[in-house]
Amino acid sequence: MEKYQKIEKLGEGTYGIVYKAQNRETNEVVALKRIRLDNEEEGVPCTAIREISLLKELKHPNIVGLFDVLHTEKKLTLVFEFMDSDLKKFADAYGGDLDPLTVKHLLYQLLCGIAYCHRNRVLHRDLKPQNLLINKRGDLKLGDFGLARAFGIPVRSYSHEVVTLWYRAPDVLMGSRQYDTSIDIWSIGCIFAEMSTGRPLFAGNSIDDQVLQIFKIMGTPIDTLASAQAPLQQQQQHLHQPMAGFAVANGSHDDYMRRAWPGCTQLPEWKSNAPIYSSVPLEPLLPKLSAKGIDLLRRLLEYAPEKRISAEQALLHPYFDELKNISGGGGGNNSAI
Amino acid sequence: MTRLSLRNPLLTPEQIVQSPSQRQGMSQTLELDLRAYGCHLVEAAGIVLRVPQVVMASAQVLFQRFYYLASFQDYPLRGTVLGALFLACKVEESPKSIRSIINVVDIIIKRDRGYPEIVTDGYDAEYYDLKNEMVIGEMQILRRLGFNVQVELPYGLLVNYLRCLELTEHPLIPQLSWNYLNDLLRTPVYVCFQPETIACGVIYLAARKCGVSLPASPPWWIVFDANEEDIKQVARAAVALHERSRLRIMPLDSDELEMYLQGSLDDHINAIRHTRSESMASTI
Repeated sequence: MEKYQKIEKLGEGTYGIVYKAQNRETNEVVALKRIRLDNEEEGVPCTAIREISLLKELKHPNIVGLFDVLHTEKKLTLVFEFMDSDLKKFADAYGGDLDPLTVKHLLYQLLCGIAYCHRNRVLHRDLKPQNLLINKRGDLKLGDFGLARAFGIPVRSYSHEVVTLWYRAPDVLMGSRQYDTSIDIWSIGCIFAEMSTGRPLFAGNSIDDQVLQIFKIMGTPIDTLASAQAPLQQQQQHLHQPMAGFAVANGSHDDYMRRAWPGCTQLPEWKSNAPIYSSVPLEPLLPKLSAKGIDLLRRLLEYAPEKRISAEQALLHPYFDELKNISGGGGGNNSAI
Repeated sequence: MTRLSLRNPLLTPEQIVQSPSQRQGMSQTLELDLRAYGCHLVEAAGIVLRVPQVVMASAQVLFQRFYYLASFQDYPLRGTVLGALFLACKVEESPKSIRSIINVVDIIIKRDRGYPEIVTDGYDAEYYDLKNEMVIGEMQILRRLGFNVQVELPYGLLVNYLRCLELTEHPLIPQLSWNYLNDLLRTPVYVCFQPETIACGVIYLAARKCGVSLPASPPWWIVFDANEEDIKQVARAAVALHERSRLRIMPLDSDELEMYLQGSLDDHINAIRHTRSESMASTI
């Protein structure tokens, strides 16, 4: 610990206190995350094991750097690259009113970081504005790789504080354990919308409410497999007694396509009693977002996980063309990839 | 955050030729017996704890990796077995309490030694010593392996490869090759080769045992990123293992290791077995 001089306490992390500190030799400013090891029943916390083992492997400009791990008898100290702020604080400082070009820059970096994780077959599973670190240069880096816990995704963390549901994919909310890289993409869609309006897109206060919030905007999903199997007559009966998950022949083709989710009624916790909502246009909800931005958002928030756009593809979306034109003069626009 | 897979760290030839235990004067035979016994403990405990196969396999790989970076003399077997199990349960999202891991490993050792099978009560000195060994064991594994505790296993690959080779319906090959994968956990194979090569090696051996010929030109393993020399080495390791039989009484801590080297461990164990059985009988 002699190597670093503490400057100030930054806050309490998931498993310990975080300090701002300075390397006495190099004067480099770092963040120290201290993990106490005197927990009688847990040994070394699971979150710390994951965070360290993965961050040691993942080296990328859009992922927070883990410089060192210091051991002592009673504690473990992780030495991280220092970041000034996180996306939540950053957006709050602007009163939630980020300019569209900044949003584009931040989203691009977020996608670069997650594309790198996914290429290395790593899922973050807990993307949210508080976990996206930002420095004074406007660099965005993924942080907090320790929140994954046993048995999939918890509703409650160890301290019994409710982990936010707002960025959680609908398939996971409804009990899917087959999740893959697409769960991070849904979270990115939610974060993108929140950056564009200053407010969370789906702010549920329970799992059921979260699902309902999503259905109200994206429409109640239609199980295209179930409705294809049902004979036509039966389908028409459903017109009179509509059931969630079955095709209801009102609304436009677009609405049907947006709500189409093959197999959704087979999810372990499918909400069969949910009211039937049509999808609503996103443009009025996100007035500052361009048409290309809306198109990208729809692809990020695709219901069926297998149809959700990948991070790699998202980076090629025309929404980002503007960035390529700007940096084109400076030479190279894919330096962060 | 979860890992889907990062590549396994492999040993350098120098590390394999002389392990830390051998550098400190241990015979190769004793070291192999200790490795085999440690893996047996992990596997047997895993079955009783009902953890998924991937936990048992990962714990054995961590145990094997550890003893290429540290010696049995400095870090006795039992603490490493406990630590590796504890760690693998956490890494593979199948957590078990300290108490249940200790009780199960302890009972298996007692059974192997013919001691009365009395469960530690969670408050006695024996329990606290084991708990201490386990926490230290876990920390030492993390430290020595530099937290590189993700283990990529060949089981899923084996199933895919068998499907590609149209061997899934064969009456013997799938089970035989699966068994070889389990057996090989007791050898250094998992720290010397990537999972693709290990999966090919067991298929190669199982197919030969069953007299089934596989595509030879071009050789089938090329499709799976393996080479002939490596898969033959994997196969040889599996054959060699089957020629050895496992010992039931192995030194678990520093004192026992010393007794073992002086040839007095068996007498010591017999004496304990005798006293404990006597005191059991008298309480009944």
